[in-house]
Amino acid sequence: MKLQILLLLALTGIFSSGALAQTQGDDPVSLVENITGSIFADVTENLEEYTANPEALEELIRTDLMPLLDINYSARLILGRAGRGIEKEKIEEFATSMSNLLIDRYSAALLQFSSQIKLRVLPQRGDLNEKLTRVRTRVTLPSGGEAPVDYAFRKTPQGWKAFDVVVEGISYVTTYRNQIMPEVQANGIDSVIERLNSGQLELAE
Amino acid sequence: MPHPRTLVGIVLLSLLLVGCAGTQSRNTDPEMDPWEGYNRKVFAFNQGADKIFRPIAVAYDKITPDPLQRGVGNFFRNLDAPVTYVNQVLQGKFKESLSTLGRFLANSTFGLFGFFDIASQMGIPFYNEDLGQTMASWGYEDSRYMMIPFFGPSTFRDGTGRLADSFYHPVGRAMHGYGEWGLLIFRGIDTRARYLDQDAELNEAYDPYVLMRDVWWQNRQYQIYDGDPPMMDYDLYLEDYADEEEATTAGGN
Repeated sequence: MKLQILLLLALTGIFSSGALAQTQGDDPVSLVENITGSIFADVTENLEEYTANPEALEELIRTDLMPLLDINYSARLILGRAGRGIEKEKIEEFATSMSNLLIDRYSAALLQFSSQIKLRVLPQRGDLNEKLTRVRTRVTLPSGGEAPVDYAFRKTPQGWKAFDVVVEGISYVTTYRNQIMPEVQANGIDSVIERLNSGQLELAE
Repeated sequence: MPHPRTLVGIVLLSLLLVGCAGTQSRNTDPEMDPWEGYNRKVFAFNQGADKIFRPIAVAYDKITPDPLQRGVGNFFRNLDAPVTYVNQVLQGKFKESLSTLGRFLANSTFGLFGFFDIASQMGIPFYNEDLGQTMASWGYEDSRYMMIPFFGPSTFRDGTGRLADSFYHPVGRAMHGYGEWGLLIFRGIDTRARYLDQDAELNEAYDPYVLMRDVWWQNRQYQIYDGDPPMMDYDLYLEDYADEEEATTAGGN
């Protein structure tokens, strides 16, 4: 439970109003920092509305979150050698299916837990790299404990984008990769996409 | 009570499982999990044993109010302190070891035998160390993955460390006939109850064995590095592509 909630909620840290992100610093730490504030404020303020109409929240997330994520890069990392010879469009379709599934789950978790959880972004330290960096955050749970959630960012021509979430050391890319890669190799990517679209595939934290 | 032969039993069981390990031929990670055939047997065995333990954990989780359950968790966590303390000293983390000592004293007294985590409210940091982590910090970094009957994921290094630590762990020593068996079993139930919410994920995974291994292994690295492991090398994940990419896009990207 803990891990799952954390992962789900933590990723909401990068759900935000794209407009806000643009007006402020565009380094990864600022991105996460600005966003955590705005998304929690938004959901807390409009909790009833979103509860009554979860699609609105999903829509908000879909439009505002996507520009900050590099889902195609995540998809390529996850597919690994199973992505060999698969055309670009298929990989993008896979990436979209996966992100849709995640959005469903994130918004559900957000509705359920946003009022009980606090996020804290730690200052940039070490690992600072021209192309790759890690933003560390701490999620404070209702029980008083704190759990670490890191985001991996990479610099793209469109600015910094997140492509992995690491909860208590557990990388979502690595964990998905080791499940999806063999499944694609065994059943083919179409069958995996189909499963993702039908929402059957309960992916691991 | 005479010395229970649990350890002997576990060792024998392991040997037995090794005996029938030959059938499993595929290996998903030869480097870190060369004993995969055996490990999958133990994993299956543990999943079977879980058919008994899980309902107990579910019942416990159901009848125990959250604050009480949290208290029980605090109580058991507090009893890990001696092992953490000793291993902090072994790793030369003296300042941190004083924290652990302070926590243990505060929680064991004012915290009513550890039931309330007073130390955290006082702002005393929590650490977690064991002999496996100590050996890793001494340079024994790579150890093969090893599933242990009843206890679950580990490595050869960490399993050995755990065994050594258990001789003076207030709860673990029950395994050697010196303590309360009831406590050991209770801790097992409490621990199992904390993972109930992840059962669905595990059961529906494409390969539950690999999922458990991945999650455990990554989190273990995280513990060994005290919460600050080096950033992983994502480029390795793309290497599988590299030759093809270059061939088709002539070095694009």
